[in-house]
Amino acid sequence: MALPRRLPWDWYDGLVPESAVLDDEAHVESSYQFRLDRSRPPFGVRVERGASIHGLTAFDLGPHGVLTFGAFSLTNGTQFVCDEEITIGTGCMLGWNAVIMDTFRVPLDPVARRAALERVSTASPRRLLGEVETAPVRIGSNVYIGFDVMVLPGVTIGDGAIVGSRSVVRDDVEPHTVVAGNPARRVKRLRLDEDATVATPDGPRRYAEVLAGCMRGRP
Amino acid sequence: MTAEPGHWTDGDLPANARVGAGTLITGPDAFKRFRTTRDPGLVIGSHCTMDLTHFSFQPAGQVVIGDFCVFASTVLMCEDSITIGNHVAIGWNSYVLDADFHPMEPVQRLADVFSISGPGVAAGLPRPVVPTAPVVIEDDVWIGPGCMVFKGVRVGAGSFVEPGSVLTADVAPRSRVSGNPAKIVGRV
Repeated sequence: MALPRRLPWDWYDGLVPESAVLDDEAHVESSYQFRLDRSRPPFGVRVERGASIHGLTAFDLGPHGVLTFGAFSLTNGTQFVCDEEITIGTGCMLGWNAVIMDTFRVPLDPVARRAALERVSTASPRRLLGEVETAPVRIGSNVYIGFDVMVLPGVTIGDGAIVGSRSVVRDDVEPHTVVAGNPARRVKRLRLDEDATVATPDGPRRYAEVLAGCMRGRP
Repeated sequence: MTAEPGHWTDGDLPANARVGAGTLITGPDAFKRFRTTRDPGLVIGSHCTMDLTHFSFQPAGQVVIGDFCVFASTVLMCEDSITIGNHVAIGWNSYVLDADFHPMEPVQRLADVFSISGPGVAAGLPRPVVPTAPVVIEDDVWIGPGCMVFKGVRVGAGSFVEPGSVLTADVAPRSRVSGNPAKIVGRV
């Protein structure tokens, strides 16, 4: 089951795009969050069960972007720039004004960049079209990303990691570690009991089971 | 390619702003803090896209921008001079500043607070002088989202400034930089 294209509670007079698949047990605050979404089926945004997407979150997807926002994950105001693939696992929290990008949308070479910028002046809407190298971003489960963090193309963040506010993440983050800074560096390893049980809306579940995705479908 | 004179989607351009053909400026707050009395106070070349960009200029400020630039939600804060070349792109929520805007020295800083306090309260108190230094961003520079370019910095032609960088010193042409403070991480 999916949410309707016109969200009953929407404060913005718009429709969720055809490319988005929103689980009817997800909370998506507004169609305004899709104002930059240029994806076309079968590509687009998938929001899983129990996820909550608040405020001025922006899904800035190119035509072939695929973004999965995992079960019971939360965000308020993250900007996703996605021309290929961004995956968020189960039970993540993404802070205000974080930017997660799988592309810089411009060529690295200054001469090639000139042509891309000249195309903007005749594009409609007047935005960069991408058409450059992309590298998927994968964020595991139970990842906590602080305010104003930037996650750059190609980065994988392991399960259970914490990224401190204002960090710029250029390199992969190991599971169950804390990173911070610009560039982000490891500041701590987190201890955990993999066999511990967590209270969930579906009843008690082993921590490792939740990371493995047992909350994605209905019980 | 559009040849009509450039325009601002949300109002009439200030008289001391010169904007080239095909340049588009969007956003109701673009000129909210445009206090420059220079003429011209702002020059933008042709075919630029200035999306939700703020032109926050003090009375003596002057900004010159070249052709085919693309800025998105960029804040330009200018006391003196910011010069930007052709084919420069600046990402969301980046700031370019040519001053500290308030004195570093504690007594002067307190005097500044009083001089800018609410309307009618401190009328006539002179503001202390604040050091400024021109900023120059040369041709073909890309500045990613969430960056800061501080006073006196020159960013060399073709450089690639990665997201979240804080630029406090000059950047040599064709450098790839990242970090706070930004360091060279490669060449382009």
